[in-house]
This record gives sequence, structure tokens and C-alpha cells, in this order.
Amino acid sequence: MPIQPIDPNGGGTGAGAGFNSGTGGGGSTGNNGPSILGSLGAGGGASTGIPQVSVASLSANDVVQDATPVIPAGAYDFGTGKVFTAFTIEDVVEGSTQRVTRGLWSGNVGELTSFWTSSYQSSTQKQYYYEIYNGDPTVSTNYAQFSIAYGHYAGSGSLGANEDSPSNAIYSQFQQVLLPASQRRFSFGGVNQDDVYVVTINRERIKDKLDPGNWELCISGSNGRVVRLVDDSGDTNQLGNSNQNVYNIVSGSLLNGVYNTTEIFGAVYPQFGVIVLGAAGLDASASLGTIRTTNTDAQNHGKLFTAISGAAHDNAGNGFQARSEEEVKSTFFFVRAKNAEYNFSNNPSYVTGSNGKLLQQTFVGDPKTYITTVGLYNNDNELLAIAKLSKPLLKSFSNEILIKVKLDF
Amino acid sequence: MGFLDNSSVTVDAILTKKGRELLAQGRDKFQITQFALADDEVDYELWNPAHSLGTDYYGIVIENMPVIEAITDENYAMKYKLLSLPKTTARLPYIQVSPSSLTLNEGANNSVIAVTTKNGGNENLGYTAILLNSDAGSITGNSGVPGNVTPIVNVSSYNTAQSQTVVGKNQFTFVSAANLPNDTAITTRIVIIGNETGGRTEIDVTVNPVTDAQTTVVNVVSPA
Repeated sequence: MPIQPIDPNGGGTGAGAGFNSGTGGGGSTGNNGPSILGSLGAGGGASTGIPQVSVASLSANDVVQDATPVIPAGAYDFGTGKVFTAFTIEDVVEGSTQRVTRGLWSGNVGELTSFWTSSYQSSTQKQYYYEIYNGDPTVSTNYAQFSIAYGHYAGSGSLGANEDSPSNAIYSQFQQVLLPASQRRFSFGGVNQDDVYVVTINRERIKDKLDPGNWELCISGSNGRVVRLVDDSGDTNQLGNSNQNVYNIVSGSLLNGVYNTTEIFGAVYPQFGVIVLGAAGLDASASLGTIRTTNTDAQNHGKLFTAISGAAHDNAGNGFQARSEEEVKSTFFFVRAKNAEYNFSNNPSYVTGSNGKLLQQTFVGDPKTYITTVGLYNNDNELLAIAKLSKPLLKSFSNEILIKVKLDF
Repeated sequence: MGFLDNSSVTVDAILTKKGRELLAQGRDKFQITQFALADDEVDYELWNPAHSLGTDYYGIVIENMPVIEAITDENYAMKYKLLSLPKTTARLPYIQVSPSSLTLNEGANNSVIAVTTKNGGNENLGYTAILLNSDAGSITGNSGVPGNVTPIVNVSSYNTAQSQTVVGKNQFTFVSAANLPNDTAITTRIVIIGNETGGRTEIDVTVNPVTDAQTTVVNVVSPA
């Protein structure tokens, strides 16, 4: 339907949308129903000198008559003010999910090259595991990154006998958490593992999970040899097919891919952020020298720590590289400020004196504001979220603004 | 022939403390239904109609200004909201309160705050009042407007500096704390916001402890 003009004498079109005299309050618009504020019960307003019509009545007539009327500039009636605008269904888009990967270590660093144990751990704790920091633990800006533990199914390599030993506790603990109920031993490449090394990454680091196919652990061996370990997920390009809960650990590198798929060093459990390595395999490939004497505090996990930190010490390119993965759910809010909206400000610099007079005389009849902040509110006018623009955005009666606000959960 | 700028303004939002609190209570409690706009860091005195390069440059200083990052305390963000008014409005509505400051002793003493809006507004939706430190006391609003009261969660014998938000038609009553924590004076503020105009004003509040000597005098005088 074509746009139809409104009779400025108050006759209006169709159901009778019309202007008031222009000299009275803002709330009334003939007999055409409430204004924007009127729908909330608002009453009169300041004299404007311009014939005014309520947006509500225009919308109603637009629906009934399928005819959008033409009105003079500045003729919208906002009565004594409006600061909140309700979102409509079209303004809110929910449910967008995005996969976000970042460098795993503190500060979103992708490669860890400095490894520190912590003197804050008690001697008893050190019988079970070493907590590894990215720098001197006494410096408040350094944080725990991951832990290393050694587990033996029969308790060898640590003090105590039978079930009463740290290595047995470690083995049982991770077997309980990582393996199916029917499986009591770790098995890599069909070979049961009596003992394993466990690298468990702090939850705060992995976010939702360790990013499969995008980590590389270097372990120094004898004669300067370095064993590079990766997983066999093959998802280095984020194809999104890495939804398994476990992958084999094989030799290879992030740069050149998998070297050898037949020799299985262990398993990685991305959702847990846990890397389990067979001790026998590391002994053979990296000369780790695991001690399996009973009732002896062999500190085997210290050997793996030395091998990891030693590799990085010899060559900074041999650090522990990894990424975290997180699913971020976003909701988009489309904030629309129409030409007649938000052209005045409660900013104290907007007025002068004590009677609300506009500071800038050029704003009288042509008000302007600068938007810097968008606030998202609930029905009780409580501010739930806030977004800032990168620079002030000019708003006046001669322009409209559309701002897309993204809120992540 | 050049290309038109087709970039849209996209910004990331962060949750306020209130938003996090409500989200923690469940998604049904976290319902964003409306928006408002603000210009907290803009100084309109920088608008220069005498700029030698003409109208396009009147606001160039403001437009080139970097905007500071968002803060998460909802009581201090969105201080100066933009509002919609008829185009030829020459005087803006503003809020007046009486008294403009409060000084009370502890012991549940009352003080009534009357609120009006000059140049029209807020007659129907009234005002929102935020007491920034509920250790100092509590606040209530008179009836006649829609709205709710944000409950205070008591974590211990004192409320440990939480804010309290209430709505009222045109009057609020502040009641000082029965006993101040640590017997030390508390200085805080009550922020009054117009629910239609978005205008705000602040009232300084001081609640002083009552010394033992004062208490003794009261006890002696009361029986008489």
C-alpha cells in the first residue's frame, strides 16, 4: 500500500489518527489512544509548538489501515520522556554457539617453556604429584598450570606396601575416572600398562576441554634426543570431528603431523584435560629410567618433570604447546534508536543553570547526543548487562542507530 | 566511485553484578526485556559551534574521544541516560530532593525524602532509590507506582555494604541502622533516579554512632 498523508487539521486517516493543537501537553493525541508513555499511564508533557502524534496510535492505524502516515519531523510525542525501549521478538537472536580456542596456558599463551615446581607443596603431597607453575610460585603473577603424577597398579615406586602407597592411589584414581567400569588396567596399543605417568592440566586452563590435535609435549631423552608426542585425532584444522573422549598418543609434531601411528605412547582424554603416558614406553624411547622398587619413594614423577623441563631448557622450541577449547553461547540484541528517540541527555553538562535550560543553544530545535553505552535491563529496570562503544556515536533527529550487542554465556 | 561504508556497530556486553546474581538464580530470573542508552563520559561543553571548519567539526573532539571500558557495578554505570522528548524541548526535566543531605544517629531514626521533577515527568512511574550501603540503614518508598523491592541478603549480623533498591511515587523514608558495625560512622549515598526521565540526583547520608555517654543520658531521661 502507498504511504498516505495525514490531515494536519486533526482528521487523520482511517481510524482517525490526528495531531493535537501543538500547544498543549504531550500525552493526548485526539481520540486515538495512548502515547508511548500513555501505554504506561503517562500524562501530559512540555509544550512543543509542533503538532504531535503518538507512535502507538500510528502503529495501530498502520495495522488497521495498512497505511503508514506521513508526519512532520519532530512530531512524535514522547510526553515527559522515555528512557527505556522494550525489545521485540525480532530484536533478540538467541542460541548461537561458537567454538573458541585459545592458548592453553595463563594469559592465553600457547607454549609453556618455563617449568617450576612449588615449595608450597608438603612432602606428603610431593609423594603423589608435582604441581607445575609457569614461573617462580612465590611471585603472585605466576599460576599453577598442570600436575605430574606417577601411578603403579601395585604401588611400586613409592613408599608403603600394597594398597597403602601413593603410586597405587594415583593409578587407581585415574583408572576409576578415565576407564570403563569393566577395565582395571590402562592398555595402550593392546599392551596392558602396569604403571603410567599422568599429566593433568588445571581446569581453569582447559576451559571446556583440551583442544584435540593441537597439543605437543616434548620429552628429552638420552643423547640429546627429544621425543615429540601428539594425539592421533588429526583435527589440527578444527574440522569439528574431534568429539571422541579419548585419542591415542603417538610420536609426531604440530608442524609435520603424526610420524608413526603404530607405536602408542598413551592416551589423551580431552574433556578431562588428562594425558596418560605408559611408563614402559617412555623408558624405552626417552630413557626415563622409571624405578619400580617396592616401598621406595622413587619420585618417578620428578623424572618426567625433569624430562619435560629439560627439553624446553635445551631448546625453547621444545616447550609444551597446547590450546584450550570452549563453547560460547551467544545472544544478540539489536538495539534500534529511531530518529525521534534518545536525542536528549540527562548528562549534567547538557544543561546550564538550575532550571534545565540546554547548554548549547544550537541544540534547541535540533538536539544532539553522543551514545557511548548500551544498558540491557529487565522489567524491574535492573541493569543486567552493559556494552560500551569504541567511540561516541552521534544521535540526532536526522539519523537512526542500529547497534548489535553480543552477550556471551 | 567509492564504496559506501557498510560496517555495522557491533559491541560485546558484559554482565553486571546484578546480572550475574540473577543468572546464578536461573535463566528464568535473567530476562533482558529492554534497553537504555547513556553518555556518561561525554562533556557537552566540548561541543564547539565556533569551530573554524564549520558544522561538521562542532563535535569533532567528542567524536574522536576514546571510550573507557565498562564497569560491572550497576549502581555506578549508566549514570546519565539519554531520553526521548519532543524535538523543540528547550528545558529538560530534572529531579529535586528535600533534604539534599542526611545526618542521623544510629538507633532506627527516620528521615523522609521528598522528590519532585521540575519541567514535568515521573508522575506516573515514580522514582527508584538506591541506598549504596545497607550497613547504614534501610530505605522504603511510598506506594502508588509499579515495581518491586530488591531484597537484601543477610550474610551475617550486618549486611556488609550491599546496596538496596526500592521504588516510590514521590517520597522515600530512610531509617538509620539500629547499631552500626564497629561503632564507627558510615558515610554513603542515596541515588534517586526518575523512572520516566532517567534523571538522577544523589543524597549524601551520614549515620553516626551514639556514644555510651549519650546512651546513659537517654536512659536517665526516659523514665521522667
